[in-house]
Amino acid sequence: MYPRAFHYHRASSLKEAVAMLSQLGDDAKLLAGGQSLIPLMKLRFANPQHLVDLNFVPGTSYIKEEGGALRFGALTRHAEIENSATAAKIPILHDCAAGIADVQVRNRGTIGGSLAEADPSGDWAVVLMTLSTEVCCLGAKKTRTVPLSDFIKDAYTTALAHDELVSEVVVKAPPKGSGGAYIAFKRSAPVYPTASAAVQLIMDGDVCKDVVIALGCVGLTAIKAKDAEAALRGQRITDKALSAAMEAARAAADPQSDMRGSTDYKRALVGALVKRAIEVAMRRAHGEQVEVGHIYA
Amino acid sequence: MSPEGDKKNWVGKPLPRKEENRLLRGRGKFADDIKMREMLYLRFVRSPYAHAKIVSVDVSAAEAVPGVVCTLTGAEVAPQVQPFIEIAPDPGGKIKDYALAVSKVRYQGEPVAAVMAESPGIADDAAELVQVEYEALDPVVDAEEALKDASILHEEAGTNRVWNGVFEYGDVEKALKEAASVVSIDRLHFHRFSSTPLENNVVIAQWNPKDERIYYWCNNSFPSFAIQFLSAHLNVHIDRIRVETSDIGGSFGIKITSYPQMAVCALASKKAGGRPIKWVETRSEHITSSAHGNERTFRDTRVALDKDGVITAIASRHIDDCGAYPRYEPLGCVIWSQVFPGVYRFKNARIDFTQTVTNKCPVGPNRGYSRMQHLWFLERVVDICAHELGIPADEMRLRNYIRPEEFPYTTPNGCVYDSGNYPKMLQVAKGLIGWDDWKKKQAAARKEGHLIGLGIGTTLDSGTNNFGQSQIVNPGAPFSGNSQGANCKLDIYGEVVVAVGSCPQGQGHETTAAQVVADVLNIHPDLITVRTGFDTERNVHTGFSGTYASQFAVSGLSAVHGAAQKLKAEMKRLAAFVLETQEDDIEFGTGAQGPELRAKSTGKSINYWGLANIVNVNSAVLPVEMHDVTLNCRYIWRAPFKVPDKVRKYGNLTLTYASQLHIAVVEIDRDTFIPHILDYVAVDDCGTVINPPIVEGQVYGATAHGIGAALMESCVYDAVGNMLTSTFSDYTPITAVNMPKVKYGHIETPSPHSYSGAKGMGEGGAAPIHTISAALQDALFAEGIIVDDSFNNADSLFRAMVGKEIGQVGKLVKLERRAQ
Ligand SMILES: Cc1cc2nc3c(=O)[nH]c(=O)nc-3n(C[C@H](O)[C@H](O)[C@H](O)COP(=O)(O)OP(=O)(O)OC[C@H]3O[C@@H](n4cnc5c(N)ncnc54)[C@H](O)[C@@H]3O)c2cc1C
Repeated sequence: MYPRAFHYHRASSLKEAVAMLSQLGDDAKLLAGGQSLIPLMKLRFANPQHLVDLNFVPGTSYIKEEGGALRFGALTRHAEIENSATAAKIPILHDCAAGIADVQVRNRGTIGGSLAEADPSGDWAVVLMTLSTEVCCLGAKKTRTVPLSDFIKDAYTTALAHDELVSEVVVKAPPKGSGGAYIAFKRSAPVYPTASAAVQLIMDGDVCKDVVIALGCVGLTAIKAKDAEAALRGQRITDKALSAAMEAARAAADPQSDMRGSTDYKRALVGALVKRAIEVAMRRAHGEQVEVGHIYA
Repeated sequence: MSPEGDKKNWVGKPLPRKEENRLLRGRGKFADDIKMREMLYLRFVRSPYAHAKIVSVDVSAAEAVPGVVCTLTGAEVAPQVQPFIEIAPDPGGKIKDYALAVSKVRYQGEPVAAVMAESPGIADDAAELVQVEYEALDPVVDAEEALKDASILHEEAGTNRVWNGVFEYGDVEKALKEAASVVSIDRLHFHRFSSTPLENNVVIAQWNPKDERIYYWCNNSFPSFAIQFLSAHLNVHIDRIRVETSDIGGSFGIKITSYPQMAVCALASKKAGGRPIKWVETRSEHITSSAHGNERTFRDTRVALDKDGVITAIASRHIDDCGAYPRYEPLGCVIWSQVFPGVYRFKNARIDFTQTVTNKCPVGPNRGYSRMQHLWFLERVVDICAHELGIPADEMRLRNYIRPEEFPYTTPNGCVYDSGNYPKMLQVAKGLIGWDDWKKKQAAARKEGHLIGLGIGTTLDSGTNNFGQSQIVNPGAPFSGNSQGANCKLDIYGEVVVAVGSCPQGQGHETTAAQVVADVLNIHPDLITVRTGFDTERNVHTGFSGTYASQFAVSGLSAVHGAAQKLKAEMKRLAAFVLETQEDDIEFGTGAQGPELRAKSTGKSINYWGLANIVNVNSAVLPVEMHDVTLNCRYIWRAPFKVPDKVRKYGNLTLTYASQLHIAVVEIDRDTFIPHILDYVAVDDCGTVINPPIVEGQVYGATAHGIGAALMESCVYDAVGNMLTSTFSDYTPITAVNMPKVKYGHIETPSPHSYSGAKGMGEGGAAPIHTISAALQDALFAEGIIVDDSFNNADSLFRAMVGKEIGQVGKLVKLERRAQ
């Protein structure tokens, strides 16, 4: 179907976009890659009166290494991250970018749009939760920096005020000895995962010094599996520790039955994905180059 | 016409497709590419309910929207038309089917009203403003529930049962009594899915007030069937309906049943004073309300076997679910019996077959139509029996297959299998996949707890229907046989132009038709123009023309061949006259002046332009006795069928039987329950191959569809008839990342029933569905699980293996061994 009629505004700077938002009020929405917004508008589930297009704002798409962090312009496309050697320095970012939907979606969809959408099934929030991530929010009066864990409030809900936008995403490089991996089960490429697991850990020999585990698509937002982390932290990663982490991850999950799978199945699945992600993350922490892809039906 | 031995310069060769250049460069012409002056855009208002009474429809707000030209409702349409033809006898025959719901809606997504506007956006806006008041009724979504008639869809029929009939041959009771063992299977279920053509349905219709004719530009894939339905429905002389199709982006049978939407578009055009109406279906509309494949439940199956595991009889009860309206049904109630015994030799069988309506999308003849359900059932029976008796799956098949020396083989219900060699296909497939190696790997993997299964699926793709089988479901049906038309001419400047009554959707008809004609005339296929795409005005169609049911290689190319031979005979006669020699002195070839006919004795020649010139624009040269030469030859090919015996349900129902044997090796991951195809082989036999890459392409395409159906694609409804898979995110059609590498092999057993030895193909018998079920079954027997459904994804495997909710062998299968 066609979307309902709307007014189209083209912003030439992020500041101007913010000004447009304040002026146009609640019925205005930003347009980034359009890979979430446009399908919703075509199904007439979203019916904004005004669209403020960010795609012509210069200097919003970049990947920079600066002061021990990677800085992503809000309009950096998934495909740019997928193909960036800089981003690949944190392998879990490459896992994430390369596994989002298909080429067409990756060529359009943006990291900023993905976080702002806060889709319970979105990949970026899950992965970035395992790293130290800050979201730069530009408002009419001030710019503030919000840690990712405070940025995403609920399903489809963020800390952004109506006249604020995401200008940049900053990811701190993990310390030496770190490794991470992101693995999802997807029925086919252009669909969201059934469940996913992101693991970022620091190894000291065969002991896990620290670990963050996040689960995707099994709750209203990405879930931090704290008990699963505790099962590994300070431990040698034995089969027993792995099983304990897997069980704890299952317990932390809170999935809903839908066409992607039943509650019980998703719970079982997410445990298995956590286990695999830990295994890959460990190998990477030990300096091994490991290619992982999502699992497809 | 007796087939004169053409030299096979082109038939059988891997000629690149003539249509490729156009299609791959984006220069195809599809229905939605057509734009016309004054065109209006139609949007349907659809029911959110699966089953409800329509209390009122208020279109006033929609009509008030600027740019809206008119609306249509069911109540407005009903008095102008006859209900669509029903193929069923009573009770199904009493069903009244209209293109817009009249007093009730019977599935979610059923069109209730239509809005016509100056732009598609306005039509979308206005459609939202149509107010429909419904009074919800109890929906029935399960076929067996529906047959209890607690909630009836079509009051005029008085029951949800559309059709019932018993197909019984031989002596089943005796065979069961004398059996060494009897295996009983409580319930098997073949799921509902659909094909997903890239291009959705598109209709442009114009009811032209100047000549009182209806013009259609659309992508219906069986237009000669559609015009028969439309003519009766709209009370319009059939010659007043012109249908043209151009390139079609896939159909797989699903576009056969777009005639109700075609009717609405014509009526809308009439109301709009003759302005052309365009309707372009959205993907969600396509998934919820175009057509799905038939769902079928197999109940109370009893199989008699002798001491060697040879099946001697099968008795079973089959319940087919055709959704809310029968439409092309109940033809599916007999079409499965084209492959009644599958590839097996058993002689005694009784199948009690019932079809019912339910509150779901109507079905349409989806790729593999009605036969795949039955073949899947038979393959499940064979694997379960083999396992119960401790016979390996390959060995079980060899003991039960029809033997190569038995062809042509007459089945218990009178079908004649033309040719085949199933044991050889099995051997080729086993060789390609490395069966023995995989068996060893499987055993080793099992010891480590890995679940690997090897499955064989043997299937038949019966092609070129005898429409007389309609009389088995309805003795009063006025259909039998099969025919196809073609025309072959030299145009005024000597161009060779072929027209066919088919409407290809990727099957390469332009290429294969050119290959056939090139061999008849001994010229290069590039010199031949093939007009495909249906056009009533070309006058090459019969009542069976279209592209469906695996038949072009036989019906279409036989017609083309016949027309080319007629043309060749005329050309020869004319050339002999001009060159003053005998006809047998004439040879066909290509000379300095292009394609020509030569007198061998004198070396004199005349080219195609010369011949065409005499007939078309220089005809005073022609003596009176040659006035019948037109160089414009129409030929209608007719299949050599008889009307089947309606009482015994006996007769030959299809002309050719292509076969496929697939083997899959599947591993079920113990942690994620995701089934992975580790290896896959598809061996095909469609008789003499006309163009190998086209055949191979059809095999890959059918294999992809089948793998999608087996593992990913299912049309799911909840208990109250909401469709839960109405977008591609939920329906997840198979994509390239899901495809295993398919090893392809083929054997050729030429058909004695077609002039070229070719058999129709393209549906692939949905071979992967049987094959993957078989492989999963092989992996799961040891777990006490029966693969009782044709759809198996990670979630359903989890529910069987961990939840123990489904597929439990103890509840489903019983073996009774008799002391001999
Ligand atoms: C077929 C398909 C499959 C997909 N599969 C996946 C998948 O597997 N995993 C996955 O993670 N995603 C998937 N996506 C979504 C995709 O990643 C989107 O790109 C992403 O969710 C949104 O980014 P966008 O740039 O397209 O945002 P848009 O659609 O343009 O916008 C989304 C929302 O965010 C707002 N917004 C956009 N940019 C900003 C900003 N800078 N500041 C504040 N608000 C902003 C918009 O106003 C809107 O409300 C899929 C999409 C499609 C179409």
